Amino acid sequence: MTIEALGLEKRFGSFAALRGVDLKVEPGELLALLGPSGSGKTTLLRSIAGLETVDRGQILYEGIDADTISLRDRRVGFVFQHYALFRHMTIADNIAFGLKVRPRRERPPRAEINARVEQLLELVQLGGLGGRFPAQLSGGQRQRVALARALAIEPRVLLLDEPFGALDARVRKELRRWLRRLHEEIHVTTIFVTHDQDEAFELADRVVVMNDGKIEQIGSPAEIYDQPATEFVYEFLGGANRLPCHVEGGVALIAGTRLTTDLPRDFTGDAVAFVRPHEIGVARPNGHIDDVAQVRSILPIGPDARLDLEHVSGHIEALVPRESLDAAGIGVGSRCAVRIARARVFPTS
Amino acid sequence: MTLALDSVRRGQRAKVLPGFRLTLGITLAWLSAIVLVPMFALVSRAAGVGFDGMIASATDARVLASFRITFGASLIAATINLVFGTMLAWALVRWRFPGRRLLDGFVDLPFALPTAVAGIALTTLWAKRGMLGQIADGYGLQIAFAPPGIAIALVFIGLPFVVRTVQPVLEELEPEIEEAAATLGASRLQTIARVVLPELLPALLTGFALAFARAVGEYGSVIFIAGNRPGQTEIVPLLIVTKLEQYDYAGAAALAVLMLLVSFVMLLAINLLQRWAKKRHGN
Repeated sequence: MTIEALGLEKRFGSFAALRGVDLKVEPGELLALLGPSGSGKTTLLRSIAGLETVDRGQILYEGIDADTISLRDRRVGFVFQHYALFRHMTIADNIAFGLKVRPRRERPPRAEINARVEQLLELVQLGGLGGRFPAQLSGGQRQRVALARALAIEPRVLLLDEPFGALDARVRKELRRWLRRLHEEIHVTTIFVTHDQDEAFELADRVVVMNDGKIEQIGSPAEIYDQPATEFVYEFLGGANRLPCHVEGGVALIAGTRLTTDLPRDFTGDAVAFVRPHEIGVARPNGHIDDVAQVRSILPIGPDARLDLEHVSGHIEALVPRESLDAAGIGVGSRCAVRIARARVFPTS
Repeated sequence: MTLALDSVRRGQRAKVLPGFRLTLGITLAWLSAIVLVPMFALVSRAAGVGFDGMIASATDARVLASFRITFGASLIAATINLVFGTMLAWALVRWRFPGRRLLDGFVDLPFALPTAVAGIALTTLWAKRGMLGQIADGYGLQIAFAPPGIAIALVFIGLPFVVRTVQPVLEELEPEIEEAAATLGASRLQTIARVVLPELLPALLTGFALAFARAVGEYGSVIFIAGNRPGQTEIVPLLIVTKLEQYDYAGAAALAVLMLLVSFVMLLAINLLQRWAKKRHGN
């Protein structure tokens, strides 16, 4: 199902959770909403589900205003971070709930419900545990029950709110892979919320990076990683060096290296450059004083080495082949020239 | 190491959290002094009338009638409290309205008020000429000095028990489970009947049991509003007091023991129900 969000705005008291969000979700895709807490990603998800009403804007399901569709008819499979299982029901009854509460005319016969529950239990790899109660299962198993329960109503869209947030790292990784496979199998439009970029990049077809109630960037994991659209995305992804620099006529001077930026030709002023560690090289100093850094530490990582450099513009982290260090005769405490191969430059506002 | 071995040899494991014996000892001594010894005294006193005497007093028409009125009115009152107490707790937990805290404070009033005061106030209110009694009289209903009056007094004194047991459980109840039910297509009514109430069941049973137990033992408020006509609006505690005033100590004790037995059986039943309900939560 295609889902569109148009100009969504939502306030909680004085806090603006959504400040004009536009988004189009393609049928069958697996979309991640990624952002820090308070960025509005959960509010967006809950608004799409109909659990939250927006102050302004519209949500369209297949082009139809979702406000005109009741929660029951939306057929949204929602999975909560803390599972929200019904404690007094067995696993089988939990999964069957969505079918059993249907009006009598639409309710499948009992035998059919039971067969469907068995099938879903197999799908989430919990065959034979239908008679247990939620308290008797582990966190990972409970989350799979929650997923099976959501799938029972044959949802047109599956919405997951930090689905693995409450689980430990190992189980989280396992479930992630399993969810990816499941999605390939059933191909239902899926949106999930996470603050973990590894999770978003590993699972999703497209990632929506959110900050402060707005969308910063939408793109495939590769696009987001290779071309972070904003300063925020760079900061949020982490790992990149943030170097203040000066731009003159569209050309930036970053730690002694002159680089043509994609800023307008006539731009002149202060800016900030983001440089990833592997985009930095080191060489023997050649006389200039301002491009020389001091090596504070060297940490070998496989064939590469991570260098901690002390430069006038700040602290720089570089990742270079160890061979190049030996070739240039660079060791801890020695001075070296910094060579920047690539950088993204944003003017300082 | 040697110490640990020693304690193993003595047939006990060294406990990480000490104080088991001390706390158990204090608990048992306290429980004995406060509850068990008086109970024992009561039973030994009742033994004075002998088994036949017990049977005789148990089958006496006036006694039977008073048992019917005490337990009947208590059951009705506890049931009413169960329904309205739960609704009150729901309103206090779920909604934010002006005066909520004040209302919350009022719930405890029946705890604090001397029950005789409550009895007099309720009697004035529900007597034929009273504010509410007038209205009831218009429909030909007698409240004060009749069984409904007894039930009203018992509803008053039992209300806080249901509210105060259900309230914390409702507060703990995640709104997510209701949202989950809604996204799965359940109507509001289905959500309450199939999801919320079953979650509350253990607390509801506890509240009911407490309100019921309190109602069975109530004396002060009831004697003012009941009218105390033998065989019609006479409660067991009053009958016991009457016997005491006639210096029939053994008879009074026999009645008390009977009352104790009936109460014990009913509370035991509720407790078993509760255990069953809790088991369904997988605890």
